[in-house]
Amino acid sequence: MAVYRRSRRHRFLLVLLALTSITVITLDFRGESGGFLDGVRNGARDAFAPVQSAADSVFNPVGDFFGGLTRYGSLKAENDRLRSDLAQARSESLRQAGAERERQKLLALQNLEFAQDIPSVSARVVSNGPSNFQLTVAIDKGTDDRIAAGMPVVTGSGLVGRVVDASRSRATVMLVTDRSSNVGIRLQTSGTLAVARGGGADKSLSVDLVDLTTPLSPGEAVVTSGLQGSVFPPDLPLGRVSTAKVEPGALSQSVTVDPLVELDRMEFVKVLLWSGQP
Amino acid sequence: MTSDPRLRVPLVVLTVLILDLSLFTRVRVAGVMPDLMLLLAIAAGITGGQVRGAVVGFGSGMVVDLFLQTPLGLSALVFSVVGYTVGTAQTGILRASWWIPVVTAFVASAGGVLFFALAATVVGDTSLVTARLGLVMALVGVMNALLAPLAVRMMAWALDCTPARGGYVV
Repeated sequence: MAVYRRSRRHRFLLVLLALTSITVITLDFRGESGGFLDGVRNGARDAFAPVQSAADSVFNPVGDFFGGLTRYGSLKAENDRLRSDLAQARSESLRQAGAERERQKLLALQNLEFAQDIPSVSARVVSNGPSNFQLTVAIDKGTDDRIAAGMPVVTGSGLVGRVVDASRSRATVMLVTDRSSNVGIRLQTSGTLAVARGGGADKSLSVDLVDLTTPLSPGEAVVTSGLQGSVFPPDLPLGRVSTAKVEPGALSQSVTVDPLVELDRMEFVKVLLWSGQP
Repeated sequence: MTSDPRLRVPLVVLTVLILDLSLFTRVRVAGVMPDLMLLLAIAAGITGGQVRGAVVGFGSGMVVDLFLQTPLGLSALVFSVVGYTVGTAQTGILRASWWIPVVTAFVASAGGVLFFALAATVVGDTSLVTARLGLVMALVGVMNALLAPLAVRMMAWALDCTPARGGYVV
């Protein structure tokens, strides 16, 4: 009998813990940003920042070593590819110098939207999120540097994602490849507007609702659309079309887009201090 | 050093959290990292039974939730149930072999990952249940199983459990 009573008390404890968790989940859902739970979360991340930075500098070589082990083959192939690319780029840069000068003049003339200077903050990528599902990285700047949730994050080569959380000295960036990420895009050649959804780590983004008649070519550039009220400013480069095919009986083409940025090997990013349409 | 579990358990949880956030996010196999905080809950269930499993799971889950984008409390809910379940299962079997914690960690970790994905779906995040979920479950299961003997040892120290008290020490 005593055993029975004890196990009932144990079950009561479990129910209590479960109810507490559910209450916190509910509060976290309903609370607008800046609420108590956000304060706790941000406080913890700030408090942890120095410890994490120290641990990071210790473990960075380990990560590099492990990364090297698991992708030695691809690194070697990449090295070869880069060598040939470099030779090609050298010759191309000579030709493009002229074109670039011309473009600058045109921009100055027409005052196009993507010439807009958006102020930005550079930050270092400190770690990946400790999750097996969500694709986020933590960066070493936060609200102290005017970073806020919702801001777009880029590197030199293109769009990385957007800030989803910012504490004083840390911010979390959700990558465009995350499954919950949606980016409004424009296909550069045809000007077609669409939405690119993240497909998970190392996967291409998939683009929905591209009309059957839209001409598409592999390698075509994809940029953010920047429509009214969209999350990203217009004309940030996102990626290139990798495949485009029509399933039998489908009413639209299925298109995949490879991001330009190597999202698993970023060191520095730029946060655009941009919050919604001007 | 004091043998008070109220000091030792947070110490272990925080140490493992630091390793989790800095070392193990880098050591990924096919993009999957071990779930150390879940493993702590399982280890607590193995060494200390249902109640300690549930309490440690709640704590480790809540701590890791602070660094995730899923709603706060989701891991706490899942880990406390997993810790409790492992504790319940442990009391019913003979603890003699070294492989029991390993197998337990594999099953409980894979189950915990599934439970977490389903719970996230229930609260509205539908991005977790995908074709990849099976792979994540299997890899987390295997990696946590490999780390289980170590985790069990740490938890036995933290909870100050001796085998005579119904606990398990490798």
